Amino acid sequence: MTAELRNVSKVFTDPRRGKGLVALKDVSLRVEEGEFLCLVGASGCGKSTTLNLLAGFEAPSQGEVTYQGERVRGPSPDRGVVFQEFSLYPWMSVLQNVMFSLQGKERQEDRAMEQLRLVGLEDFANSRPNDLSGGMRQRVAIARTLAMGPGLLLMDEPFGSLDEQTRRKLDNEVLKLWQRERKTVVFVTHNIDEALMLGTRVVLMSPSPGRIEKEWRIGLPWPRDLSSPEIVGMKAEIISRLQACPCANGAPVSMLGFDEEGT
Amino acid sequence: MKGSASIGRKEATDAALMDGAAQFSFRSERGLLIARDLGNAIIGLLVVILLWWGVAELMMFLRGVAFPTPPETLIALWEALMGADINGESIFAHTSASLGRWGQGYFIAMIIGLTLGMAFGTLPRLYDVGMIPVYVFQMIPGLAWIPIAMLIFGLGETATVFIIAMTAIPPLVINTAGGIREVPTVFTRVARMSGKDDSAMFFRVLLPAASLSIINGMRIGLANGWRVLIAAEMIVGVALGLGFSIYMSRYDLDFTSAFVCIVVICIIGLAIEKLLFVSMENRVRHRLGLDREDLM
Repeated sequence: MTAELRNVSKVFTDPRRGKGLVALKDVSLRVEEGEFLCLVGASGCGKSTTLNLLAGFEAPSQGEVTYQGERVRGPSPDRGVVFQEFSLYPWMSVLQNVMFSLQGKERQEDRAMEQLRLVGLEDFANSRPNDLSGGMRQRVAIARTLAMGPGLLLMDEPFGSLDEQTRRKLDNEVLKLWQRERKTVVFVTHNIDEALMLGTRVVLMSPSPGRIEKEWRIGLPWPRDLSSPEIVGMKAEIISRLQACPCANGAPVSMLGFDEEGT
Repeated sequence: MKGSASIGRKEATDAALMDGAAQFSFRSERGLLIARDLGNAIIGLLVVILLWWGVAELMMFLRGVAFPTPPETLIALWEALMGADINGESIFAHTSASLGRWGQGYFIAMIIGLTLGMAFGTLPRLYDVGMIPVYVFQMIPGLAWIPIAMLIFGLGETATVFIIAMTAIPPLVINTAGGIREVPTVFTRVARMSGKDDSAMFFRVLLPAASLSIINGMRIGLANGWRVLIAAEMIVGVALGLGFSIYMSRYDLDFTSAFVCIVVICIIGLAIEKLLFVSMENRVRHRLGLDREDLM
């Protein structure tokens, strides 16, 4: 077992307005070595909070978050995050961005180039992030995170802002990286198809307060066929559970000031 | 890539639409754009001069006072540049004295303002406490610093430099601290995730990300210090300085000399703003990668 949340609750409070929000309530989740775990659910269900707890950006209000048996006390290069939003430093070149995350001083440039090669961007090493398309930027962000050599790869809706075509292409690249490097991946997405295409396990979370609703193990090989009966069945079940929850018809699920989805 | 650098924009556009080209090039219109910017600047300056002239003529007509007109002032400026004295000294002596005081005051303000700004920007508690005095100081008008400066330093250069520094410090602190505090969380998270220490976080992430805002503070501080010259030089104790000359004109009624000094102050201020800071900001923008257009 790689990482674990044990009876974790996370509460956000706004002392000024005297309001509180329970983002996660008594969540227990074990991330197993080498799995590709997809967290799905409506916005405000605590997916990103779960990821931030695993990354160490947030501390649990109750319960315990552990990685390799040790309590998580803060972010660490062992647990790499690929962020949803634009996270490259615009004042650095693509290569410098990747080098920034490297651990150790020796052969920095060669090692960074190696990572760029893995995502097919070695020709853009000297470009500035702002000169790249959205898809290329996220590939650099992936290369930067992989450069840290993390045992656990945390991805927070990494392709959420990309067009469908590019997203599918990058999904496949992530899958290939995962298969080659045998990393453990936790992948947050609100796109059910994306989760079903990628994950070895799909965990559905539901909001108000955020908790784990149900999970499915998917033993199918890749590339998967979205129209196969198993996938169609799981998708139908996920959708019906999503629609049963109050958030599906647009009711507000997070209060202003507690936007824990990081927007 | 269709087209070439030798054909005009309209022809090149038409040709590209005709041939179905996706990208094309045409003769750069940079010269034209610069000329247009220059033209607009000249029109803007003309508006100032016409307003001034109109008010001057109106006052002479209504109140019978000798309000210096633009031509009179320009002639006096020319004579001053040719060596005529203003308040017993050459315009160059006045200008260099003022520039010297301003330079000293601004230098001190930069050291104090940037240091405080960086400290406030990184330490939230210090920010909450420290910004109150900064806002209070910012509200003190230039003239109101005179008694304070006199009580601390008496009459003299030090008091003048003090006033210039005190008016330049607040914008430096506010913009430096604000710029650092507004660095997006994701930028600091990336640094923490990759195990960077505080100094790497500060110098490689916070400072570059906040640099545009810091430059803005430097710019406002510089302008504040320059604008406060008259007040600051009231207590300089020596008959030297552009601000001092303007202040003296109310006693010897040499208003044309005062206008000459005002024009010199405006020209120097504008030159620093347009030549120094605009180019500095463009360089930083370029370094930050913020000057790229989405046109590939």
